Amino acid sequence: MTNKNTIQPRILAIDAGGTMTDTILVNEEGQFVVGKAQSNPEDESIAFINSLRDGLNYWNLTLEDAVPALASSIYSGTAMLNRLLERKGRKLGLIVTAGFEDYLRMERGIQTYLGYSYSDRLHLVTHRHNEPLVPRERIFGVRGRIDLFGSEQIPLYENEVREAVHKLIDMNVEGICVNLLHSYVNPEHEKRVKNIAQEIIRQRGADTLLFISSELYPVSQDFARLNTVLVEAYAADPSRDQFKRINRKMRELGANHELRVMASHGGTISTEAKELARTLVSGPIGGVVGAQYLAKELGFENVVCTDIGGTSFDLALITGGQFTIKTQPDIARFMLKLPLIEIDSVGAGTGSFVRLTPSSKRIEIGPDSAGYRIGVSNPVSGLSTVTINDCNVVLGYLNPDNFLGGDVKLDKERAYNAIKEQIADPLGLDVYEAAEGIISLFEDHLRNEVISRVLGKGYAPENYRLISYGGGGPVHVAGYTAGLNFEDILVPSWAAGFSAYGCACADYEYRSDKTVQAQIANLEDNITPFAETINSAWRELKDRVIEEFAKSGVKPDQVEFRHLLRVQYVGQLNDVEILFPGDEIKTAGDVQIIIDRFEEAYAKMYSRSARSPELGYLVTTAIITGVTESEKPKLPTEPLGPATPDTKYQETRLVYYKGNWEQANVYQMDHLRPGNTVYGFTIIESPNTTFVVPKGYKAYLDAHRIFHLSPE
Amino acid sequence: MREYDLETLRQLKRGELPFEKVHEMQSSHKDRDRFLKMLAIAQESVPWNDRILLPYAEHLYVVEKPDKSRVVKCDCGYEFGDVKQNWKLSALVYVRDTKEKINEIYPDKMGCDPDWMHIREYICPGCGVLLETEAVPPGYPIVFDFQPDIDTFYEKWLNQPLSK
Repeated sequence: MTNKNTIQPRILAIDAGGTMTDTILVNEEGQFVVGKAQSNPEDESIAFINSLRDGLNYWNLTLEDAVPALASSIYSGTAMLNRLLERKGRKLGLIVTAGFEDYLRMERGIQTYLGYSYSDRLHLVTHRHNEPLVPRERIFGVRGRIDLFGSEQIPLYENEVREAVHKLIDMNVEGICVNLLHSYVNPEHEKRVKNIAQEIIRQRGADTLLFISSELYPVSQDFARLNTVLVEAYAADPSRDQFKRINRKMRELGANHELRVMASHGGTISTEAKELARTLVSGPIGGVVGAQYLAKELGFENVVCTDIGGTSFDLALITGGQFTIKTQPDIARFMLKLPLIEIDSVGAGTGSFVRLTPSSKRIEIGPDSAGYRIGVSNPVSGLSTVTINDCNVVLGYLNPDNFLGGDVKLDKERAYNAIKEQIADPLGLDVYEAAEGIISLFEDHLRNEVISRVLGKGYAPENYRLISYGGGGPVHVAGYTAGLNFEDILVPSWAAGFSAYGCACADYEYRSDKTVQAQIANLEDNITPFAETINSAWRELKDRVIEEFAKSGVKPDQVEFRHLLRVQYVGQLNDVEILFPGDEIKTAGDVQIIIDRFEEAYAKMYSRSARSPELGYLVTTAIITGVTESEKPKLPTEPLGPATPDTKYQETRLVYYKGNWEQANVYQMDHLRPGNTVYGFTIIESPNTTFVVPKGYKAYLDAHRIFHLSPE
Repeated sequence: MREYDLETLRQLKRGELPFEKVHEMQSSHKDRDRFLKMLAIAQESVPWNDRILLPYAEHLYVVEKPDKSRVVKCDCGYEFGDVKQNWKLSALVYVRDTKEKINEIYPDKMGCDPDWMHIREYICPGCGVLLETEAVPPGYPIVFDFQPDIDTFYEKWLNQPLSK
């Protein structure tokens, strides 16, 4: 660490969890510290300040010194998600097209088992309907119909709207959501409902909030749109007050920037943004954004991002410098219409429980886990079931006295006894043999996930670099990449904080989507209707993005706009996102560009032989993203030192590997210098993670403090 | 291996556990002695003292009488007789074999056609609780739900043979 007096924190990332609030401070050189404090859901700003103060202590700075120096602060948290899961959101009323009042009771079948394990999906007895966010008595249908082309087939029955609004106000709802069929093509009826409702609310002196689907999420699929609007009104919007409080505290401390929130599309947005539901999940996104940033800085394009935490293994692909976005994610058992970075999550982390199936004595890993409680080896965990961490402790990979920098003392003997009793003895195995068997099963499982992700998309590992992060990633990275021939395997020395680091790397970016459904068969057709549909959608979206930026005082000329489309073959179901190089479709040549880019992207993602241009092309969604300058952490760059590490820091301990006890060299990560290469068996420890370099491997630490793991 | 205490299982039986907990229990392996625990819970919930050998259906148990005979018994105490005989033969039965009777429990035209299907409701003569419902073609013999092989179950599955 450099001279503490010169440290100026530049970026602050806040991660407000249910129990702990973490703040990550990054300085100009890319170094960071993590502060922790007990969460306070009543007033998050208190926990935030405590956590920030704790972090600054490491650099001997005070709040008054540090806050004015910050260039940006990024928030991510679980408050919204908890509000949703615990059903502690706003009291809402809902107005839908008549005949659709039972939307929430019937749901879609898939919502009764979202997030379940494969075996539970098959066992219908476990399927369960969700408790509706709005009870049936506060849902009103109003007659009127806009068809899918946007023409009015039945006029809106305005008297029914009036009656519904009056009744909802009588019920003292805090907000009214409106979701009518096909409002994304023609919002006239929803606008009318809004006007009527506003009028009644004013007359009656109520302060009821209105959430109109066509204003918030003008996208097709009315049920997913309804869910998204409800989640916005129920769980996301109520967080605004908390954000305001944090912002106010920051201003009081002299901050001259505005708090931003990490959003699911991979950018950060203002706390004043219209679509706040996007910030519902942000945890695993940070890592992918960080990996993308790293790839850009280091000049490569294809990355497999792997994150192992206590409970899950998260996997994402970056191809050609871009991650993929899915537009219909599911979150907390709701089908939503939001852009979310495509991340696959497998219920296998270092805290995953290990059990024997009683009938067949097969080893089972997960899907449930001890999470932050680590395992049996943690005497205060109260756990009695073996976890992956326990096996790592017994095998000597984890140092029981230096877990989380020694904050948690692990008991190797407890782990040994638990494995012996629960796994080894019933199977008639030696304890170490059993523990190693479990680890290799775990790593095989992860390796299969990695390879199926890459091969499944038609790519080859030889063209990808793999980044491993999260507290558990570096422990197992050699195992789960064995034999896969990645171009390179990277382990940032700040792997444990990589997700938070990634949040700090995110662009200040708004993204706005609108369903368009514009079709074109060939260039001989009249392209005007096609072009006009898309151009007008882009104009509308651009205005939205400008409006959002205006809330933070960012002018349109400071924003770089990108025009994107989601395109599919007519008759197929998978749309692919492409970037259009201009800002308007004017000529047949522009249409040809769209077709060419789509065909190219499609062939990359699926296969050339699956192309089916006979029926033409369908643009499903128009998208605008706007990015403005924001400060990002610099990659640390240090001069290269000698090829061999200073042996005065070297310690040794015995580890069990491939059936033998090996003498492993142990280093503290801080003691290794850029330029050093270590050979397996070596273990590199840092307070938040452990990097295992097994026999037959070497790891080179580059000038950016990133390790490169490769076979010897 | 998860182990659940009697109180949790009692709550499970009474339907008082939150769904997340029930789901967790449904999805994981049963504790080794779950059957015996559930038996103990059943035993403490009935007002009589005959030993329960097996829960048989809603409200019904197979119990061991002091003379070692095994009979089907309702939780109210009414005894239906030897487990080898169909208990339904000793129950009260209400047959819904007309449109009017079927429409008492179904909205019009949503029920069955009495020419094709009857609904037979078996009721406990002791407490009047509805024990079982059969949907069968008219004239179909009374269904014998199942005849458990209790001795083999105790001997081979629970590894604790019953004394004869």
